[in-house]
Formats: sequence, structure tokens, C-alpha cells
Amino acid sequence: MIHTGHESIVVRRSAALLIPIMQLFGLYVLFFGQYGPGGGFVGGVMLGASLIAGILIFGPDGQPAAAAKKLLKTDGLGLLIFVGVGGLCLIGGGAFLNYSHMQLPGLDGPTRRYVGIILTQIGVAADIAVAAVSIVFSLYAASSDEVSNG
Amino acid sequence: MTYHIPALVFLVPFVTAIGLPLIALRDERRCRPAALAALSVMAVLSLMNLGSVLSQGEIRYAFSGWAPPVGIEWVADEIASIMVVAATLLALVSVLYSSPFPIQTLQGRSVPYYSILLLLVSGLSGVIYAGDLFNIFVFLEIVALSAYSLVAVPGGRALVSAFRYLIMGALGASFYLLGVAYFYASTGTLNIADLAQRTPGLLESKAVIGGLIFMFIGLGIKMALMPLHAWLPDAYSDAPDTASPILAALLTKVALLVWVRILFWVIGVGDAEQPAVVFSLVWVMGALASVGGVVLALSQTEIKRIFAYGGIAHVGLVLIGVGQGSHTGLTAGLFYLLNDAVMQCALFLLAGVLVHQYGVRTLDDLKSVNVSSSWVVGAFVVVAVSMIGLPPTGGFFGKWYIVLSAVESRNYFALAAIIITTLLTLAYFARVLERMFRGAPKSPQVPDTPLSFRASVAALAAAIMGLGLWSDRIVSVLLEATRGLGQ
Repeated sequence: MIHTGHESIVVRRSAALLIPIMQLFGLYVLFFGQYGPGGGFVGGVMLGASLIAGILIFGPDGQPAAAAKKLLKTDGLGLLIFVGVGGLCLIGGGAFLNYSHMQLPGLDGPTRRYVGIILTQIGVAADIAVAAVSIVFSLYAASSDEVSNG
Repeated sequence: MTYHIPALVFLVPFVTAIGLPLIALRDERRCRPAALAALSVMAVLSLMNLGSVLSQGEIRYAFSGWAPPVGIEWVADEIASIMVVAATLLALVSVLYSSPFPIQTLQGRSVPYYSILLLLVSGLSGVIYAGDLFNIFVFLEIVALSAYSLVAVPGGRALVSAFRYLIMGALGASFYLLGVAYFYASTGTLNIADLAQRTPGLLESKAVIGGLIFMFIGLGIKMALMPLHAWLPDAYSDAPDTASPILAALLTKVALLVWVRILFWVIGVGDAEQPAVVFSLVWVMGALASVGGVVLALSQTEIKRIFAYGGIAHVGLVLIGVGQGSHTGLTAGLFYLLNDAVMQCALFLLAGVLVHQYGVRTLDDLKSVNVSSSWVVGAFVVVAVSMIGLPPTGGFFGKWYIVLSAVESRNYFALAAIIITTLLTLAYFARVLERMFRGAPKSPQVPDTPLSFRASVAALAAAIMGLGLWSDRIVSVLLEATRGLGQ
């Protein structure tokens, strides 16, 4: 499927320009989720899609693919952030994910809720992005008989 | 503190599952100890939960502090707590038992294998605890997805079985979800406690009846009810020997438990006339499944497949008990479900030992070897006695209460089905035992049975005897927990 990158210089140059913008917009959507439509899932999909675009255009030896392979090692880190926030709430004596009980020093009730939600959203985004990239890698491994542990 | 234990029971294996790639980053051999440690902690927590539920009453856990029906609710009542204890201990025994299997059989995939195994166990606890129909669906899917990938681990033929199981399981999940949607459309809630108040008046509604039928078909595929069972024998016999005990013990049982919950906790309360049709459907299907399962078990030659069909028959027996609609029948069904989980785990564990120690897969193979280990043979006899239903094992008392409930409601067809099932179970175990005891006298010397095999089969045989010897106490707890349900 993706043995080489895309050859056209137009595609390569514009991708080099567009991918950072996609990532920036993904982050914007992630943080805008506090106030309006958006949030961890959509932001994570955008971050993942930007990496997938990089893999498809610059090929398996390109720099985005190398970054994505490193990212795959952190599989589950996002969920750990999510569970970690929930665990901090448990330690504070509230139910799992009850942000008002989250134990972070120097924060009052509303700020705790705010920080708690944004942290779980970051966790969700990280996990969705890694999951999207890992799907591409496993399809790639299936199409060329090369076995990679995706 | 005790209030949070249900969440912790779920979180311990879940966090270990997602942290496992980090724990085993340097050394793959750390996976098994980590999984064992997580399951041991989970076992202790689930026992603590059972203790507190039995002494202080049920725990209703509201996630993130939102009260139901807005928030997600977990209900740890007596039945859920007992089932979680059983699930956790069986998972612990099956991981303990897997140690002599060389790690090379996993071909460097032990991190994903143990991760998925732990996800399966945490998903099981979620299904059992979940207090609303949609969360039950979510956790059933976590369990099912983990099970598909565990079945596929050996590769080759197992891939085909896993794919078939995937298609059937996805179909079952869709049917169940469709039924949930019908319930939501007609009642406006999915919380089981809320549904219990609203559905009894709505049983005339075609939407509720349709939803109930969809749920029954969906869960019927998941619990391998007789005409929908085709995925099970292949999936269980091709699954890795280390994973099949836990799959066989718990996958069909949790779906069965969900169906029992819907039958008694959602629609079986209040109006006694209308659900009678549903209950007769359930016991007739159960009777067909139990007789059909044993007949098919008799015609198998591969040992794991015999046990798989035996499991299908026992799902039918539970449904016969539950389908009587009486208090006795419900208790009998739940008690037999508990017994069946332990027996299935023990059977597949013994089948794994036979493969690993003696290279025996079929009945004919069994003829040419000499099963010399007294631990294996002893445990096998105990499990066989329990499967057939002779005292003093748990299987006898479970069957006894099911027979009692059938006699109480003067249901002689169900009684006949139970007796036929018992006799044919005796017949297929006789086929296995006959070949086991008439082993070849001059068979090659096999190495001594490893300690973990002996310990795990002995633990399960002891559990089966224990379930029989303390059956009156367990049944009285179950009778107390189901007070007011059924007629």
C-alpha cells in the first residue's frame, strides 16, 4: 500500500505546509471543547489524521512515519492519563471521575472541575490519535507481508 | 471506603492491562507475574466487596458523582458480588495454570495476550456490575472483542474460527442493541431499576415485545443457545489451551446472567400473567438446548469439542430452571450457573493438561496413552461426577433444585428433558472415562505433572466439592437475594 511516498513535489510541499496547520487546528478543537462543540475525540482524530497524511505522503521512511512509530510505543498512555485523573478523584474521597474531589493542591472547586475535564480530554485525544495511526500500520503490515507489532 | 470497591475491582485489571506495555517494556517475562498480581488484588477486592455486601446490603455506585438515571450506575448486589468473586477466582486459577506452557507459543506476543486477558476479566466484572442495559452492551462488547482476539492467538485454523465467532458475535451484539433501542423508545430509560417500574405496565406494547425478542436472540447467540450455538465448539476447541478455560467458564455465563436479569429484574416484577409466554419460551428453548447439546456431545471425537457441547447443554439446564418463573427456579438457575462456570473451567483446564502432558486431543489418542497422574484422573472423576449430577458435588445440588422447581410447577416435560440430559451426560463421560481407564499398559514414560497443573486442577475439584458441601448456605444467600422475585 504505502511502499513509497507520493512523488509529486506539489503534494509534498503543500503537505509540509498543511500538516502543521492541521495539527494546530486539532489542538484548537481539543481545547475549544471546554466552551463549545469539539473536545478530545474530534481533536484526537484530527491529530491522528495529520500523522496518517504524513505517512501516506512521505512514505514509510519519511519523518512522520518515524515519529508515528515512536508514538505507537506510548499506546495506552492516554488511557492512563484518563484513569489517573479518575484515580486522583478516588483518592480525594469522591466517586471515580468526580472532578470536584480531584486532589491537586492549590485549586478551588470550579477550577478542579475545569482542570479535571481538560486533562481527561487530553487523555482521550492522545489515545484516539494513537489508535488511528495503529490502524494504518496494521493495514500496512497486512498488505506487505512484513510483520510489525502494531 | 467499601463504597468504592466495585469501581476498584474493575480498575485494577483495567489499569494493569493498559499499563502492561510499559511494565514489560524491558522484559516480556514480566507480563505473567504482573497479570497474576493484578488478578490476586482483584480477587481480594472482590471478596471484600462480597463481605461488605453480605453484611451491609447492596452498593449502588454512581460514576463521577452523577446520580442515576443521568449518570452511570453500578449495582453490586449479592448476586453480582458472588458472580464477580467466581469470575475473578476462575481467571486467577486459569492464569496460574498457564505457567508450564512455554512462552514461545505466544511468539513474542505475550504483552498483547496478557493485556487482552486482563481486559476480558475487567469487562466481565463490568457486565456483572452494570446497572443499565446500555452499559451492559458496552461491557459485553469489550468482553467479546477480547475473546475474538484470544481465540485467534494460535493462528491457522483458529483464525477461521475466530472470524466466524466475530461475525456471529457482532450479529448478536447488534440484535441486543436493537432490543435496547426499542426499550428506550418505549420507556425513556435504560436503568434497570427504572425499567422495573415502567415495563410491567407496557408488556402489551409491541415495541417492548419486539425489543424483548431481539434481546433474547442477541443474548441467545452470546450464550450459545442451541440453534445459535454454531460458533462455540470451534472457537473453544481452537482457542489456545491457556485461554480456553476462562473463555469457556465465563463468556456464555455472563450473557445468561444478563438474560436472567432482564427476565426477573426488568419484566418479571409485578404483573404475573403476561410474561408467562416469555417464560414458557425460555424453558422450551432450554429443554431443546439441553437435549440437543448432549446428543451432539455424544457424536464428537475431539475431547475439547465434547466438553464444549456439554457446556451448551448446561446453558439449557439453567434456562429450564429460570423458565419455571418461580422463586425456586430462579435460585436454582443462578446456583447452577455458578456451578457450571466452575465445571466448564475445570473441564477445559483438564483438556489443556491432557494436550500438554500427554499430547491427547481425541478419544482415540486417549486409548494409546496411560494417564498416570492421579491428580489429573482424580480431578477428572470429580468434575465428571459433578457434570453428571451425583452427590456430594455442586452439580448434584444445582440439578436437584432445578428438578425441584420443575416438579413444583408440575412441568413434566422439563423434568423429562433434565433426566434425558443427565443420562446422556453419563453416556458421553463414560466414553471418555472408559478410554482413560483402559489406557495402554506400555505407554512411553511421561514427565511428572507440573506443580501448577496439580494445584489448579486440585483447587477446582475442591471448589466443586465445596459448592456441594456448602450448597445450603450458598442457596440460602441466593434465596434471600432474590426474595420477592418470581411467583
